[in-house]
Amino acid sequence: MNESLFIEIGTFQQQKYGEDCFGDTVFSKKIPEEQRIISILSDGLGSGVKANILSSMTTRMAMKFVESNMELLRSSEVMMDALPICQVRKISYATFSIVDSELGGKTRIIEMDNPPHMFIRDGKPLTVKCRELSSPKWKDRTISISQVTTQPEDRIIMVSDGVTQAGLGNKLYPLGWGRQGCLDFALKQIRKNPYISASELAGAIVREAIEKEVEKKAGDDISCVVLYFRKPRKLLVLTGPPFDEDKDREFAELVSSYDGKTAICGGTTANIVERELCLKCEIDKTSFDEKIPMASVMEGVDLVTEGILTLTEVYRMLKEGIDRNKNNAAVRLTRLLLDSDKIDFVVGTKINIAHQDPNLPMELEIRRNIVKKIFRLLQSQYLKEISVRYM
Amino acid sequence: MDKITVKICSGTSCFVMGAAQIQALEFTPPADIADKIDIIEVRCMNLCKDTHAKYNRGPFVTVDNELIEEATYEKVVTKIRDVLKNKECQ
Repeated sequence: MNESLFIEIGTFQQQKYGEDCFGDTVFSKKIPEEQRIISILSDGLGSGVKANILSSMTTRMAMKFVESNMELLRSSEVMMDALPICQVRKISYATFSIVDSELGGKTRIIEMDNPPHMFIRDGKPLTVKCRELSSPKWKDRTISISQVTTQPEDRIIMVSDGVTQAGLGNKLYPLGWGRQGCLDFALKQIRKNPYISASELAGAIVREAIEKEVEKKAGDDISCVVLYFRKPRKLLVLTGPPFDEDKDREFAELVSSYDGKTAICGGTTANIVERELCLKCEIDKTSFDEKIPMASVMEGVDLVTEGILTLTEVYRMLKEGIDRNKNNAAVRLTRLLLDSDKIDFVVGTKINIAHQDPNLPMELEIRRNIVKKIFRLLQSQYLKEISVRYM
Repeated sequence: MDKITVKICSGTSCFVMGAAQIQALEFTPPADIADKIDIIEVRCMNLCKDTHAKYNRGPFVTVDNELIEEATYEKVVTKIRDVLKNKECQ
């Protein structure tokens, strides 16, 4: 059903070799009231700080215009007028690709001077009909607008010219990797793994583009944004014992009645579920780590971990990036969260008296606070759909 | 001879108070007791909440059902050796 469509946005960027900052900018925004997602990729003229400023300005302006449904031609004129004129090239210039999608499926793709988007449906490229507009003021710049109704398992790939021109000057790719090369690569990745996440695919494309470059050094800013339309992957996270012990049963039954993946964070919480549902739960020694208590395996539950320490570590990794070479309980939980689209937290609010002992490290937070920090981050930075219920 | 069962609480407060170090028994136990013990990590023994003392007395470890409060790696190893010695005497 279209109403339940979810859009995962994955982005991967590499700045031009020798530059400190990205010349391309990606800006995505979710407008929950309208069930709408807008994602914009802009390539600034040149590279480094100047390009970064130009592309950031472009994405911010474009976002405002698209969000408020302003007329496109007029919007782009305003943007071009507002962008500063490059002293070297004597033009004001930044490109953009915009995907504006309603969760019902109605999607517009608006592009100016970026490589054309790639639309993949059923493992095959789909050509979306587009119309072109140009403003009398800026005749050489045309805007193309495509409209399509998206379905589950559709993907839209936007790239900056750093991807299509990767390898330019290299003997193997005298004209660069090209849009076709990139598209073929993406199709191959999807054939290998039909459910490849948007962020994985974006990462693979950018890394492959860098491979093509002379000496594997990015000759331009290389960016890729993948939008993956799919049925939401649901996850239930239970953490903390309910305030009222009489609710233990109801609390535990949430696990058995949930139609998605489930995770339990907290030793006592796991004990409650184990007791109420008569499930067997054993420590999983492959998750040993000196800093994070081990995970457990429980029948019918995807992950069981300790509570506060694990959640605190998860929060750190959501902010700073996941530790790739570890497989402890916190890494597993972070992966599970990132792989899910719709996450329902159920937080038991009983306070563990033992945690209030002043001899314990101060970082030991109250569960409600750390969960709040995690779900805010998942909402704002990872655009996940979150619900929280206290019990 | 039956192996000695060592249960280590790895609930949050025990873990931060030192249970993490005691878990080393599982992976690098002293040679003399290595094949005589069974290590079981327990998610939370709930003892931290039951304690009547003012502060909680974790980490909690049991060696053949005998409880050790404020356990350390050394305390646990000593206890295991004591229990082994007692068993040999019997």
